[in-house]
Amino acid sequence: MPVRNTTYRWGVLSQLFHWLIVALVILQVTLASLADDLPPGAKKLALLARHKSVGITILMLVILRLLWRQLNPIPLLPTTLKPYERVLAHTTHTLLYVLLFTMPLSGWMMSSARGFPVSWFGFFTLPDLVPKNRSLYEALLTTHETLAVALAVVVTLHVAAALKHHFWLRDDVLRRMLPFTTRTQGPKT
Amino acid sequence: MSRLAALAVLATALLATGARAADAPVTHFVLDPAKSSLEFTFVQAGAQNKGRFTRLQVSFDHAADNPAASRLDVTVDVKSLDTGDQERDDTLRGDELFAVAKFPQAHFAASQVAKTATGYEAVGKLTIRGVTHDARVPFAFRTATENGAAVGYMSGKTIVRRLDYGVGQGDWKATDQVGNDVVVSFALRLAAH
Repeated sequence: MPVRNTTYRWGVLSQLFHWLIVALVILQVTLASLADDLPPGAKKLALLARHKSVGITILMLVILRLLWRQLNPIPLLPTTLKPYERVLAHTTHTLLYVLLFTMPLSGWMMSSARGFPVSWFGFFTLPDLVPKNRSLYEALLTTHETLAVALAVVVTLHVAAALKHHFWLRDDVLRRMLPFTTRTQGPKT
Repeated sequence: MSRLAALAVLATALLATGARAADAPVTHFVLDPAKSSLEFTFVQAGAQNKGRFTRLQVSFDHAADNPAASRLDVTVDVKSLDTGDQERDDTLRGDELFAVAKFPQAHFAASQVAKTATGYEAVGKLTIRGVTHDARVPFAFRTATENGAAVGYMSGKTIVRRLDYGVGQGDWKATDQVGNDVVVSFALRLAAH
């Protein structure tokens, strides 16, 4: 399987970015909900510290992923798509990138506004993005939570579309993002 | 005659000793709270965080010519801690950390001050959360005359290992999220009293 994308298949690196971010987003939701259920204390602090480190990791991965996307061909959408479906697909993908970028960014800003510097797994401390300000923190907390709901909605749409392509339309849209599968509609190499 | 001479020598010696002791000037200083700060820096979740104590009392008997005769006594109202976050402050005041309801004060009493190459070192006992350990706190001290009054500036920095004093019970005994080493730094303005 090639490292780079082709116009009919995602390459190794793009797939790695995709599935790694999937795994980390699931981890983020888990860490956040575990922390939410706890009273203030050492355990909550530890979970939130991990949540922040993983969030910063996602932010770095998303930036690298977008750069890599610029340097690669993008697999084409199936020609069977109706115009509104193409628009929907592009919108969903754009929103996913925007949300994956703004989720960690709003979390980072939230920590800065609270006056809690963000550390990446204890290796280094990130600069504060905004000055300490309680009402700004409250606003950013609401923003972070709202973006999380939006991400959940868009991810649901994305997964539903992938499954529809695979099981109903029976095209290779899902398969070309899966490792270890060679059955794609692209030219044989 | 010899007895008289001996008595005279003794009396002279006693007088001289007394005079020397009285001559060694001891200045009593107390804190000028408005121009003093007592801060602490700790690692929380991998990042440096800061806090301070806003209420403390300091008594410093400064024997300029005889540091060993100097005395330093510092009492900190632990409840006055301020890390800039209400929730965190309340957590710190709670039973598993400073337990301020039971141990409202931290206390440092130095019965001896030693001269060092770079300044002074207060040698005494530090009590936090009801636990007392020997402690040596290095500090710099200089005196000045401001508006005709004698003032002293005392500053320094020392590391306190919070778990030595039980500041961190239960889950807080772990040091992966909140470090054991707490850097305590002070810059105090003292007024002769």
